[in-house]
Amino acid sequence: MAVAANAAPPALLGLAIPAILVAVWEVLGQTGVVPQGILPAPSLVAATWWDWAFGARGMGFNPYLGTWAETVLFSTKRVFMGFLTAIVLGVPIGIMIGWNRLVAGAVDPLIQSLRPIPITAWLPFSIAVFGIRDAGAVFLISLGAFFPIVVNTTAGARDTPKNLIRAARMMGASERQLLLRVVLPNALPSIFTGMRLGLGIAWTAVIVAEIVAVKSGLGYVLWDAYYVGRMDVVIADMISIGLAGFISDRVLVAAGHRVLHWKQFGAR
Amino acid sequence: MAAVDIEGVRKVFGGRAGAVEALAAIDMTLAEGEFACILGPSGCGKSTLLNVIAGFEDLTEGSARVFGQGVSKPGPDRAVVFQEASLFPWLTVWENVTFGPRMLGRPKPETEELARRFLGLVGLAGFENHLPDQLSGGMKQRVGIARCLILKPRVFLMDEPFGALDAQTRMQMQELLLHVWDEARGTVLFITHDIDEAIFLADTVYVMTARPGRIRSRIVVDLPRPRTIEVLTDPRFNALRADILHQIREEASKATRAFEEEERARK
Repeated sequence: MAVAANAAPPALLGLAIPAILVAVWEVLGQTGVVPQGILPAPSLVAATWWDWAFGARGMGFNPYLGTWAETVLFSTKRVFMGFLTAIVLGVPIGIMIGWNRLVAGAVDPLIQSLRPIPITAWLPFSIAVFGIRDAGAVFLISLGAFFPIVVNTTAGARDTPKNLIRAARMMGASERQLLLRVVLPNALPSIFTGMRLGLGIAWTAVIVAEIVAVKSGLGYVLWDAYYVGRMDVVIADMISIGLAGFISDRVLVAAGHRVLHWKQFGAR
Repeated sequence: MAAVDIEGVRKVFGGRAGAVEALAAIDMTLAEGEFACILGPSGCGKSTLLNVIAGFEDLTEGSARVFGQGVSKPGPDRAVVFQEASLFPWLTVWENVTFGPRMLGRPKPETEELARRFLGLVGLAGFENHLPDQLSGGMKQRVGIARCLILKPRVFLMDEPFGALDAQTRMQMQELLLHVWDEARGTVLFITHDIDEAIFLADTVYVMTARPGRIRSRIVVDLPRPRTIEVLTDPRFNALRADILHQIREEASKATRAFEEEERARK
């Protein structure tokens, strides 16, 4: 039977191209066409990763042995703190900008003028203010995640249908109830979109911050390993970052589905 | 005391394209318990009048009173059923119906009892945990009616609530509304552009003129209650229908003429 072009592709299809790439990469590495010092073969990266994750600490000359979990934890903690700060600030500010014209007039221009400054441009400022400490990294992460969250929250709050507001008012809702019971839930789908974008930026920001402004975490190891010529660690680190970003996004999406369960039915 | 007292109400919308006069000197008085329908061509300002009474829109001139109280903002004494049910999509049927009492801090046992009673009355018992998007248009409007009943309002304001429904469902909803009204009583102001609907439901039909809206005539519908669909074939029904149809046609053609003149003036 022929498979229709628009039928769902088999689950393994998506793995075919990566598998071929890894195989080619392995051959290039094993035959020495590309020097191991530039592009270590996948098998070597896997072995390095294993040692990094499960090796006994302090043995031999490998400073990375057994430090993977704590390294990932350092970065994750910073992302979590920065991301949480961004939500705590971004959602209420976004709701207020979307709801109140006065607040919009007062705050929105500031946000829109700071937004185009890339997160990397804030690095010297962050180090000058916070020094080589966690606070600097958390500052950068929260700043990076703040903008997509605040902008999307604003849009979601602004989009509250007029008749939903009227309905709530006629049923006796106070201004505060209106914000918490109508404007906020209406904005939630946009807020989650902002949060997903923000989380992506948070992982970018944590790597940048750790390369420059702190001495631990995946970003620090990434740059440190590059300096001592450990490209196998560099690649294992890159994959770890991707994995951490992917898993945190999945967790956020799962949380979003729980909160936005009413959305799955869609408009009729 | 009159339930609704509208005196010389004028409403002008300001805009970039210039001011538009939506209502011009509306006078109308509804007695307590009266079921009134406002009938008019589209764009005649009938929804604007309802919005003024609901407190959604400020009026430009005149006064709007409900049981002697000047209208200043929306409130649960004037419940509104919207054309698109405008339920909160993130709340279940039960949560939508109990929304008002919860906002008002009314006692929970009483609220739950009323919610059960009114959901039963509108035929939605068993649908408490459904989300609005799982309901048909007619069912959504039933929720919209139940969430108004539970407020125990003094006036029901209904803005073409069945306008978006198919003919079959609309007729069912009209019968349901009369049944509910028999039970709950209260003063109703019902906006529609459907002549049959107006006559079928109302004690009095107010025909509005083309924009700027005025009350052109007040027609008393002296058909006996309780009414069923059979009333549609009553000769008195047909006589009323012919009379109102004639008036509406005149207003509609006036509106068309006015529109054409405006267009010509623009060129």
